[in-house]
Amino acid sequence: MPHEVIMPALGMAQETGKIVAWQKSEGDAVKAGDVLFEVETDKATMEVEAQASGFLNGVRAAAGEDVPVGNVIAQIGSEAQASEPVAPAAPETGSAEALPEGAEVIMPALGMAQDTGLIVAWHKALGDEVAAGDILFEVETDKATMDVEAGENGFVAALLAEAGEAAPVGAPIAVISAEKPSNPVQRSQADAAAPATSQTKADSAPDSKPEPEPAKVPQAPAPKRTDGRILASPKARRLALEQGLDLNRLAEAGHPQPFHVADLEVLRALPEKTAGSEATASRHLTAELASDGFAHFAAWAAETGGLSDAAALLAGLAAASLGRDEATIAVESFGQARVFAVPAGPFSAITEAQDETAPDIILRDLRMSRVSTVALGAEEAPVLTLTRASVGLLITLECASHHLTASEATGLLSEFAGRMEQPLRHLL
Amino acid sequence: MREITLSQAVNEALAEEMRRDETVFIIGEDVAEAGTPFKVLSGLVEEFGTARVVDTPIAEPGFMGLGVGAAMTGSRPVVDLMFGDFIYLIMDQLCNQAAKSYYMSGGKLNVPLVLRTNLGATRRSAAQHSQSLHALVAHIPGLKVAMPSSAYEAKGLMKTAIRDDNPVVIFEDKLMYNDKAPVPEEEFLIPFGEANIKREGSDITLIGTSSMVQVCEAAAEILAKEGIEAEVIDPRTIVPLDEAALLESAKKTSRVIVVDEGHQSFGITGEIASRINEKAFYHLDAPVLRMGAMDVPVPFSPALEDITVPTPDAVAENARKLMSGELIHAA
Amino acid sequence: MAKTKTNTEDYLRMYRQMVRIRTFEDNANQLYLSAKMPGLTHMYSGEEAVAVGICEALTIDDKITSTHRGHGHCVAKGAEFKEMFCELLGKEEGYCRGKGGSMHIADQSNGNLGANAIVGGSMGIATGSAFTSKLLGKDDVTVCFFGDGATAQGLLYEVMNMAALWNLPVIYACENNGYSEYTKTEEIAAGSITARAEAFGIEAHQVDGQDVLAVNELTQKLVARARKGEGPFFMELMTYRYHGHHVGDINREYYRSKDEETDWKENKDPIIKFRGWLVEQGIASEEEIEAMNAEIKKDAEEAVAYAEAAPYPDQSEVDMHVFTDIEHALARNTA
Repeated sequence: MPHEVIMPALGMAQETGKIVAWQKSEGDAVKAGDVLFEVETDKATMEVEAQASGFLNGVRAAAGEDVPVGNVIAQIGSEAQASEPVAPAAPETGSAEALPEGAEVIMPALGMAQDTGLIVAWHKALGDEVAAGDILFEVETDKATMDVEAGENGFVAALLAEAGEAAPVGAPIAVISAEKPSNPVQRSQADAAAPATSQTKADSAPDSKPEPEPAKVPQAPAPKRTDGRILASPKARRLALEQGLDLNRLAEAGHPQPFHVADLEVLRALPEKTAGSEATASRHLTAELASDGFAHFAAWAAETGGLSDAAALLAGLAAASLGRDEATIAVESFGQARVFAVPAGPFSAITEAQDETAPDIILRDLRMSRVSTVALGAEEAPVLTLTRASVGLLITLECASHHLTASEATGLLSEFAGRMEQPLRHLL
Repeated sequence: MREITLSQAVNEALAEEMRRDETVFIIGEDVAEAGTPFKVLSGLVEEFGTARVVDTPIAEPGFMGLGVGAAMTGSRPVVDLMFGDFIYLIMDQLCNQAAKSYYMSGGKLNVPLVLRTNLGATRRSAAQHSQSLHALVAHIPGLKVAMPSSAYEAKGLMKTAIRDDNPVVIFEDKLMYNDKAPVPEEEFLIPFGEANIKREGSDITLIGTSSMVQVCEAAAEILAKEGIEAEVIDPRTIVPLDEAALLESAKKTSRVIVVDEGHQSFGITGEIASRINEKAFYHLDAPVLRMGAMDVPVPFSPALEDITVPTPDAVAENARKLMSGELIHAA
Repeated sequence: MAKTKTNTEDYLRMYRQMVRIRTFEDNANQLYLSAKMPGLTHMYSGEEAVAVGICEALTIDDKITSTHRGHGHCVAKGAEFKEMFCELLGKEEGYCRGKGGSMHIADQSNGNLGANAIVGGSMGIATGSAFTSKLLGKDDVTVCFFGDGATAQGLLYEVMNMAALWNLPVIYACENNGYSEYTKTEEIAAGSITARAEAFGIEAHQVDGQDVLAVNELTQKLVARARKGEGPFFMELMTYRYHGHHVGDINREYYRSKDEETDWKENKDPIIKFRGWLVEQGIASEEEIEAMNAEIKKDAEEAVAYAEAAPYPDQSEVDMHVFTDIEHALARNTA
């Protein structure tokens, strides 16, 4: 932090001081106590001493000039700089390295109360050629994991967030250039975090109307804690403890500290983010079948076995994929939901469930709809969605992490995909 | 109810008690015909004579010491100390003798004495006639300290003080002598150690002593217009202190400002703030603020003197800061 | 020495009281030296005729205020050994329940308004006590004991001024033992001490403080006049303290010689002198006096033993007696 040299108020009713002469020059080393310059006030000429040691920089008033009292006329910095700008430089965003030219890819706003998106994986590497419809990356929002397309044709010229990192919604996370980039840029969000924060603070500083609105930008700069401790009033802490509220969540949400009782309202209103992302992290798996074997099977079963209810057949196949003796399967198609009780044994034993049993699997048959891919997020039970692919069939399994482990999920989808591809073989 | 000045209220209290109890007498400088410089005692000597309204030489330690001995032996002196600033002169008699006699004697020699004096700046009296030194006295075990905030309290507390069997120091605000307040005609006493909730509110508690109660009330008016409901509490006696009432209010509102005209450092504000901190900590949603007089000798120049004491605007401003969650002294 | 004897019992009582004081102090000194007594104490030995001569002229309703060197005043005004030793040892049965100690013994039942550890601290109290007497139309007189050292305190002159203005029944009794703590009185007192009182128009007397009859006779006269509203009065009682300023003040040759002490002890001792007079006047025989001495000695030893065995106050008493109407001063604030 450079020390500012200020035109001092020396006389009684003095408004300006005239610099008679500088005793030190730009870039000179000075010690506190050295005479810096001579100033003429209303009464006399006086020598003004340096108040700090360092190097004289940014002299902005020349000998002979009248300078208003209180104005900065130079700086004493820690390094000699021929012409350090006196006004603070505009905050730099990111490193000195300039970004390549091209179209910015922005972290999309996908969820409801979503501030950031977690990049699960990049599907393209730096320098890769991409088409607008290519999946560029996978992002996890508060509800689900989704594929995001590149949106531009060209080359990946910059990747500004690493897989596993969260980026603020609206922030650029990649650049796609028209030409193959000569020096592609790879950065992480951590690089960008510092300047982004200071930018926010600077913006909010002038807004200092006292108004006890909970979610408001802080009036005073919130003390930054680096030790992980949370600043909260004793009462806010006590109430949070009594009501089982986690102040950490407020802190993670970036709510300004110190927290007071009013901030607990904000905390209560926060989406169950922490709980959701841990306990109900979504799983999203797809299987693409070259052909839809089920349609033939259903026709065959109706003809030869008198099993005309295709939905019941689907339920049977889904239940069999679970590898259980009994299961409850909900089948949704054409906006209708039916719940089947599937016992061990032949398909003819499948009946519609009489009571309101919670399904073990929801099977959503969208083969007849225009929907091609789904990412609806986890629901109360694992969901198998059937959609039509350009050729064949697309099966998507979505569930929460607590429904199925990763291997159970892959197991289920593989089993079901196998049965859908060749139902008869699996019946044998 | 009729309204009388604080000065009249004190005068009435003394007259009533002197009529009731012939052992009560007043002693001090220019208390008789002069009726003190503030004319608070005018008329008493005419009724009670110079034997009971006793003018003394200018010898504060002397007549204070005399009061202590008189109190030990069956009289109930009201010692009149013309200015609170002169407390320094009588410290030995007040703090080494009066305050400790009952304790040192194992409960044998009590000192039913009232020391009547004053406090308050902004009278352009400079550093030796403007101090508010009640904290000095409150610090000494064995002394009770009453701080009337209006004519009503001035009368009720004075009568209680005279009947108390312990040494009691009453600090009247010398700027309030002409302030009127409703005071009942009929006899009444105000018990010591019972705070008075002057105004109820739910958002913030303003604890004020003496004239600072008026300052707090004025601040509460300002705040009310902004939708902030301040509770104003007058402890009335700081020894004994109605801690329970202060804590209850602190717990209710979660925010407290303590306003007192003594110097802020090591004073009443700090003591009360500390007790609230110790005993209502988990109910606080903001730091307890102290607002005392500046830690400077009281200056003469009006331009300087006026900024040394808490004002309604300053109290309201701090209340706003506490309400908005702004840390006034950020960590 | 007074020439006539009017009341044998009074003389014997005066002797007895002087011996009681000396005996009390000898025991107190031993308690201190044997580390059984906490704190510090100031011996009255040598000045017995002052306290006894004055207090024997007072009634139980008359008041005294005492000093840090106050055991003599306390005994002379009628206190009991047991309660006094208990107080010296900080025991519950002490006159002040162990809260005052040697320097604050108060025995208001006998009109002793208390010893005061502030030199000159009780002058206002004595004057106020006299004020009450006048205000309430009573006839009791207050005697204010203080030392020559206390004559340097301004308070004395403030209250003598008021006492003189208002004719208060107070007698200022200056025990001039020649030393103001560790300094010769002539080094701290300019001019005449009695003249200071006289400057206020107060009748002042200087008297031999080693002659109990002379002290008693003068006091009787002054007390009688004070009761009639002719006060105040001032007495300077020329006396001597045998011990140092306090019990630990052993090496004191830098301010006074052993020869001087020996001279006072051998030639001017108030007890020896009065004993000789009693025998000479045929008021008491040597045997009777020895028997009295032995009895007092036994009383004192028993009182010491009692006090040593007596219980300390319960710790719950620590915040009692701060205020008359709040049993435990801290109960309210520590809840």
